[in-house]
Amino acid sequence: MKRTTIPFGPQHPVLPEPLVLDLILEDEKVIDAIPTIGYIHRGLEALVESVEYTEFGYVVERICGICSFMHGMGYAVAMEEIMAVEVPERARWLRLIWAEMSRIHSHLLWLGLGADAFGFENLFMHCWRTREEVLDIFEKTTGGRIIFSVNRIGGVRRDISDTELAAIVTKLQQLGASFTETARIFETDPSIRHRLSGVGILSREDAHAVDAVGPMARASGIRMDTRLTGTHLYDRLDFEPVLETAGDCLARVVVRVREISQSIDLIRQAVDRMPKAEGAPIEVKVRGLPTGEVFERLEQPRGEVVYYIKANGTKYLERFRARTPTFANIPAMIKLVKGCDLADVPNIIMTIDPCISCTER
Amino acid sequence: MANPFNLPMMGRSLRNLLSRPATRRYPSEVRPHFAGTRGTLEFDLDTCVFCGLCARRCPTVALTCSREDRFFAIEQLRCIACGVCIDLCNKDSLRMSEDAPHVHLHTGAAPGDPRPGHQEWHQQPPDGSPPVPGDAAGGTATAAV
Repeated sequence: MKRTTIPFGPQHPVLPEPLVLDLILEDEKVIDAIPTIGYIHRGLEALVESVEYTEFGYVVERICGICSFMHGMGYAVAMEEIMAVEVPERARWLRLIWAEMSRIHSHLLWLGLGADAFGFENLFMHCWRTREEVLDIFEKTTGGRIIFSVNRIGGVRRDISDTELAAIVTKLQQLGASFTETARIFETDPSIRHRLSGVGILSREDAHAVDAVGPMARASGIRMDTRLTGTHLYDRLDFEPVLETAGDCLARVVVRVREISQSIDLIRQAVDRMPKAEGAPIEVKVRGLPTGEVFERLEQPRGEVVYYIKANGTKYLERFRARTPTFANIPAMIKLVKGCDLADVPNIIMTIDPCISCTER
Repeated sequence: MANPFNLPMMGRSLRNLLSRPATRRYPSEVRPHFAGTRGTLEFDLDTCVFCGLCARRCPTVALTCSREDRFFAIEQLRCIACGVCIDLCNKDSLRMSEDAPHVHLHTGAAPGDPRPGHQEWHQQPPDGSPPVPGDAAGGTATAAV
């Protein structure tokens, strides 16, 4: 049969960012997909050579607008490890709370985009309306809605009072209760099930083989989550990752829907268990120049991110590298796209939650 | 065959028809900012001692400060509103207004100045030289938006 090559992206209605796939089709079936990245490469990693390590955190935050807190936190934590800085406990709890709030806002954003991709514009509006409430909490506590600038090597720059923390938990629990109805729509609506169920199935073995991370792996039944390692105070919370076994597009949606409720619960636990020490120190002064190298892992909303930093005793780092979750999930996406119908390609691509800004940096 | 009566979105859609819109009628109804929102950097010439600490530590080199010339300038288009300068300032000369940054359409402060978003302040030296007429603070400020 004659083969046709159809370019998918960089401009496509479902893509918020420029990903390019050359889809090779036989009739309506995708035989092969060749990805191209590099459309929004900004050379942020190379900036370590000209930006001082104390100021590079503001660059790292700008790798991506959705995971900005996690990137800033990952950089700060990695640098603290190199410089052997003991961070005050309150700062670590605050970081955990903001990190889980980032997960809620990222998943809500993605659910909206996903709903829009499978033609459910009304649901898209509902998800983004709910997300606004999380962004309001961010603005109230950090001063920014997308770029927070609260992480600093040695701690955080803003404290949240205990009464405000209690108010945040109440607000998030109300948000969770009102989101239940939206969650039920995602899980039970017949048109969504018809569009997503059984589409783009990634088996557990395949997910292992292509090194899928984050909700992508958890939707295929792999119990993999960096939070399970207990770092960043997660060992003090009762945490069990959300797992689904179907491995199809619907399972990936359901994992993210349930992780929103889970993150709200984790924030509640964190506020309950953190010491009520309002006014306690939230940062320590960091002096000296870093020497050494470090790997740091975090569980971002899209999956595991790995930072590698090498410092050489000057105020400029020698190397900064971030292996972002979308980069790890691209082989899984290619595997899913092969053999599917052309009409299912947008849904499969959306359900890996691609963040091309993170991938290309 | 899907159940045609299983329409979980329908109840919410009908409720939406009868409820008030979730959006505001901008610009007649503007969303208030929260206290502590990082908006636009503002400078107070009266209290500044021109120590230059803020300018040295600004991550985007948006501030210029000269003690000799009693001169201070902000490049609003370079400022990322991180607030490092405000944390450092001992004299509280810098503050963050909650207003969103302006759209800088025009050229710079002086005629022919090609720097949109550039604001600068000059203070007369405290040596008895006459202040600039019409400026009670003994200094001048020029700005472009």
